[in-house]
Amino acid sequence: MRVSLALMLLGGGLAQTSVAPALRIGAVAPDIPLILTVLLGLKRGPEVGCLSGFAVGLLQDVAAGGFVGAQALTKALVGFVAGLIGERLLVGNPLVQVPGLVLLTLAEGLGRYWLLQLLHFPAAFGEVMLHVVLPQALYNGFLGAAGVLALSVLEAHRSGSLWR
Amino acid sequence: MGRKGRDWGPSVRYRKYAVLVSVLLISLLFLSLGTRGGGTGKPGELLAFFITPLQAALSKIQSSAFGAWSAYLDWKNARRENQALREELERLRIQSLQVEDTQRENLRLRRLLALRDRLPLSTLAGEVIAKEWGGWVRSVTVNRGRSDGIVRLTPAIVPEGLLGRVVEVRARAAVIQLLNDPSSAVAVMVQRTRTAGVAEGEPGGAVRLKFMARDGGGAQVGDLIVTSGLGGVFPKGLPVGRVIAVEDKGSALFHYARLHPVADFARVEEVLLLTGQTGADLLPHFSLELLEPGA
Repeated sequence: MRVSLALMLLGGGLAQTSVAPALRIGAVAPDIPLILTVLLGLKRGPEVGCLSGFAVGLLQDVAAGGFVGAQALTKALVGFVAGLIGERLLVGNPLVQVPGLVLLTLAEGLGRYWLLQLLHFPAAFGEVMLHVVLPQALYNGFLGAAGVLALSVLEAHRSGSLWR
Repeated sequence: MGRKGRDWGPSVRYRKYAVLVSVLLISLLFLSLGTRGGGTGKPGELLAFFITPLQAALSKIQSSAFGAWSAYLDWKNARRENQALREELERLRIQSLQVEDTQRENLRLRRLLALRDRLPLSTLAGEVIAKEWGGWVRSVTVNRGRSDGIVRLTPAIVPEGLLGRVVEVRARAAVIQLLNDPSSAVAVMVQRTRTAGVAEGEPGGAVRLKFMARDGGGAQVGDLIVTSGLGGVFPKGLPVGRVIAVEDKGSALFHYARLHPVADFARVEEVLLLTGQTGADLLPHFSLELLEPGA
């Protein structure tokens, strides 16, 4: 179980630099590790969400060649928050999961922008939100919906859940 | 999915916050080390050492998968294109056959019209709408009948020569008895020797020349047989066929010969019905090449 989770995180973290560019629509590519983090957080609680976010964020930081720790920090926070939401709300319904994914992507974008501002990131807030964060949040929601649907079908065919 | 109502112990309850704080601190440490070093720093380099081969492998898998997908799409497109080309080829073949058919029909009609223009009597063109090809009866039905002025025994010809005669007239159709019908008999003569005889159809589909007087030269293989004009049904000089064999009956009174009809009964599609009368010899009005032996 832990091995499969580790493999999933590794694959999800590295998928961002290999698979995600192939899935881009125009200039917008989905944030696959973030989708994974949020879904894991919602399903398995704040600890798993936080650690998963940290792991995939760190992989992304290293793979993308940015500030190591920036995405690890924001994704760990998002995973934690997703886990807290999962503890307090009924989030089994995809109608909750998908908007949650969109909102958490926006939150992660805001958090990352704020953090990078501390490190003198030059881009303007409006541009980043309009051209990067918002389209990516929508795309993540769409892709997350497809993923949740696929998992629901898969779970229906299996007695044990992949997540539990 | 919610965990509301579950009794988490104090250590478990605070553990998640401990995990969060630890993770945040580690992240900030990485950030701090990275920014101070002016790059990703040593932690980044260490991680990169492990993940770079994995990245390369994943990239290879991804490119292979997309390559396979691309190949599949190419194959699918090629298959669709192949299907479209096959359909196009089939359509062009049919079109080509239609064009050939139209050309053949055009040629036949031209020859028929040319003959009609040459003949010194009134004629009416008709199209074959039915064929009876059994052993008992051999006939064709044309789309000309009583309403077109067709009467019984009207001779029917094709550009090559005689086809037969009308034996039944309906309002808008007429049945033509073919020369090789077993009950058909036409007064004919050998064009070369003017020896008279009767051309009769046989149950096997052949045409036989009967009752040809032994004296007067008789007939040879290759001789052209034409209508004699006797009997008043057929005008004189309509080509009937060529002698392909002469049957020697010993001391019998008459000669017999097998004929190869000039008309192709199986393929006839248009005919000329001779509605007028003439006493003239019609042979000169038929194409000479059609009357050559072996034509």
